[in-house]
Amino acid sequence: MRDLPELTPDERGRYEWQLSVRDFGEEGQRRLKNATVLVSRIGGVGGSAAMQLAAAGIGRLILVHAGNVRLNDLNRQLLMTTDWIGKPRVESAVRRLHELNPHVEIETVAENVNDSNVADLVSRCDVVVSAAPLFSERLLMNREAVRQQKPLVDSAMYELEGRLTTIIADQTPCLSCLYPEPPPNWKREFPVFAAVASTVGSLAAMEVIKLIAGVGEPLASRMLTFDLRDMTFRTVPIARQPDCPVCGA
Amino acid sequence: MKLRVQYTAQLRAVVGRAEEVVELSEGGNLAELLNLLADSHSTARPHLVTEVGQVRPSLLIVVNDSAVSAREAAKTVLYSDDIVTLLPPIAGG
Repeated sequence: MRDLPELTPDERGRYEWQLSVRDFGEEGQRRLKNATVLVSRIGGVGGSAAMQLAAAGIGRLILVHAGNVRLNDLNRQLLMTTDWIGKPRVESAVRRLHELNPHVEIETVAENVNDSNVADLVSRCDVVVSAAPLFSERLLMNREAVRQQKPLVDSAMYELEGRLTTIIADQTPCLSCLYPEPPPNWKREFPVFAAVASTVGSLAAMEVIKLIAGVGEPLASRMLTFDLRDMTFRTVPIARQPDCPVCGA
Repeated sequence: MKLRVQYTAQLRAVVGRAEEVVELSEGGNLAELLNLLADSHSTARPHLVTEVGQVRPSLLIVVNDSAVSAREAAKTVLYSDDIVTLLPPIAGG
C-alpha cells in the first residue's frame, strides 16, 4: 500500500461512488491509479473499454490504433465524433477521454499492433485488452502477452453476440489454444451495433479492474458468451491444449 | 437419435437459423455430426470441417456444458437430446 500513489482530494471526490465497493476501497483505487493498460484498437469494443477504464481512474492508458475516423466508424466507435472524420482516431480518443477524466495519462500509438512494436508495447503495460478485428493481430498480441506473462482480456463481438475470456499465462488456455489457426472466410467488416460493442467493452473493462484491484474472480478458463437477441448469457469451461505452440500447456 | 444443434455468429448467418434438431445414428460421434452438417449446409462447410473432412480446429464446440476441441471430436460419442453449440471465432472492430 505504501508503494501505491496517493489519491488527491479531486480524485477522492471523483471516485466517491466506487470507493465504497466491497473489497475495493482506497487500496483498489490506488492500484488502478498505479496501473497501465494497453488497449489494442479503440474501435467499438476497445474504445468502450478505454472509456470505462478512464472513468474508473486507471493511471495510464496506451491506445493503439492506426488510421483516421471514417463515417462508418460512428455507429459503434463512441470515442470518435462526426467533426473528427478524416482525422486520426487516437487524437479523437484522447480528446474524449480527457473530457471525461483529465487525470488519466494517455499514450497514443497511431499504428496497429505488428511484429515490430508488440514486444515493446506489452512490456510497458500491466494488462492488455485485445479488441482488434483481425486475427493476425489478436494472435500476435496473445503470443506476446503469454511470453511476457501479462494478463490479456480477449473481447469479441458479432451481430448481437459477444464473447469474453481472460487469459493468464501458465494458468488458462490462451487464444491459440482456442483458435490454433485464423478462421476461414473471416470478413473484416461484419454486422454489429454499438450497444453490443459497448457491452463487450464494458465487460472487458470490468475484468481489467478486477485483475488490477484483486476484486472478485476473473473469467479464467471460462468463456462468457452472450446473445442480446434473446438476452442469453452463459459461461462455458475452456481448456488448455497440451501441444499449443504458444503456451505449451 | 435426435440432437439439438445451436449455431452462433457467422454460422448462424450462413445456415440461416439459430437452432435445429438433427438426426444422427445411435453411437455417432461429434466428428460425424459435423460432417453431416457440412453436407446439409454447403455454405457452412468451410466453418465446420477442413477440405479433408477433419473438424475445423478454429471451431469452438460445446456439448451440453463442456467444451470439446476439434481433436477430441472423433472420440466424443453423442447421446440423444445432447445440445451441441457451435461457436466460430469472432473478433473486435
